[in-house]
Amino acid sequence: MSDRALQDRVIRALADAPYRASTEWRGRALADPELVERYARFLARHFYYERIVHFFKYSRALARVTGRRPEAVLSQPGFDALLPTVVLGSRASAQAVAGLVVDHVAGSETRIPYLADLLRYEEAMMVVEAGPRVWREDPEQAGEKGGRGRGQAEKVEGTVLLELAYDLPAVLPSLLQPQTSAPECPPRRTQLLVARSPHGRVAVARGTAAIAAVLELADGKRTLAELAEGAGIEVAEIEDTLQGLVDLGAVRFSTGS
Amino acid sequence: MSDISVGAFYNPHLGAELVRAEGIDHLAMADPPAAGDPWWPKIHERYTLLLHDYLGQLSEPLDERSIQRARALAKLYRSPWVAEHFQCLHTEDGRYTLNYVFPPLYTEEFLERFVRNANALKARLDQPLVMENIPRFFDVKASQMPEPVWLRRFFEATETGFLLDLPHVWLEAHYRGLEPRAWLAEFPLEHVVELHVAGVEQDDDLKGPWIAPAEPTDEMLEFTAHAAAVCPQAKAVTFDAFSPSLSADVLFRSVERIRRAL
Repeated sequence: MSDRALQDRVIRALADAPYRASTEWRGRALADPELVERYARFLARHFYYERIVHFFKYSRALARVTGRRPEAVLSQPGFDALLPTVVLGSRASAQAVAGLVVDHVAGSETRIPYLADLLRYEEAMMVVEAGPRVWREDPEQAGEKGGRGRGQAEKVEGTVLLELAYDLPAVLPSLLQPQTSAPECPPRRTQLLVARSPHGRVAVARGTAAIAAVLELADGKRTLAELAEGAGIEVAEIEDTLQGLVDLGAVRFSTGS
Repeated sequence: MSDISVGAFYNPHLGAELVRAEGIDHLAMADPPAAGDPWWPKIHERYTLLLHDYLGQLSEPLDERSIQRARALAKLYRSPWVAEHFQCLHTEDGRYTLNYVFPPLYTEEFLERFVRNANALKARLDQPLVMENIPRFFDVKASQMPEPVWLRRFFEATETGFLLDLPHVWLEAHYRGLEPRAWLAEFPLEHVVELHVAGVEQDDDLKGPWIAPAEPTDEMLEFTAHAAAVCPQAKAVTFDAFSPSLSADVLFRSVERIRRAL
């Protein structure tokens, strides 16, 4: 085994609690297990602190009203209970940690009508961000960028289309302004698309009927014409919609087999 | 040492205070400025800015996208040098990442990788490259040489600069039961261009001290003064704290105390 491959084992042991407990890792006896465990727990708290502060920044700003700081969950028993199963960067772990935050902030006695929608939005951002990513591009594939020319359109795993009762984008900027009460948010049915690029950049866009239809139908098998027919819109509009979705990271073109 | 530049990290939530601040010579940039940061234009105009972003891990070659990003940021900041870390924090397949600086194994294979990839990056930059040491909380039995030996060989092979993080050295000494000055003396100090100073605090997970967005202790400041005296090429000392929880008081007091200690 190369030193690089060995380093990957060490990284995995720190990131992946079940692997760290496995005989496969422990049998290698590469490092003091007690010290590895301590450092892994330190890393996990740091890893999710950064994500909670980033993705729940609106709830964090609202803590002056709710009295509930999202990152407080990291020092609560619920997070410690998750640690033996946590895999840093996995969608399941992101979902579990985000769920703790949602429960914690939603437990506030302060009534903010759109708080549930806001928490769903922030939770979706954190979960969508999770998953393997491209850290460096293969020079031979750098020109492709998920663009057109090969295969059929396919929804990227993890892409979410949220159905909200409030028009959150209208209130988000003002949530970050200093104030002592929660600003008003217009009650209006709103769709928000949350997607991630292969490099891990999370993007949000307002949903439309065309977007909803394409995301439901884009299975990597249907042709452009079939997508247009299924969605009940013109091929030209489907092409524009698909390009926007590719740019957001919500759709890619399968390479075929 | 009176002409050494003393600065801190740009913490965007302290932008208003940093725009008005006195006694800070430079700011290190850990992230690109946010699009809506109202303080960025004045920060950019006023300060010497040091590029200290995540560019990539040099266990692998940086891809063209990362190199262009590094070049663009260095140009935007007018940075006198470009910093990266001796880190290998994500697996080659991208499946696992620690999202926190983590050192490579100190082996011949990793030395060859880092030398090759640092030289390749250096050739694409218009500014000198400096590399920062990263502490290891636990030893891995596969390492083949002590960290200071590995670093010395790296700097000799690449002629890059050394960004010496003093709390990292102090922590390693602490966990090895060594005297910090004695451990520091093992490092290739003649290559040091910049020093990092920070606070350390007790961490409940580690059951020991670790870097924290806190003021440096008097002991750390004495260590800093000693290090600055034995690093003849050092041009800058930076208070290394970048966190949403960092307060303006801690930042300004730390920089002032570092300056007094030098």
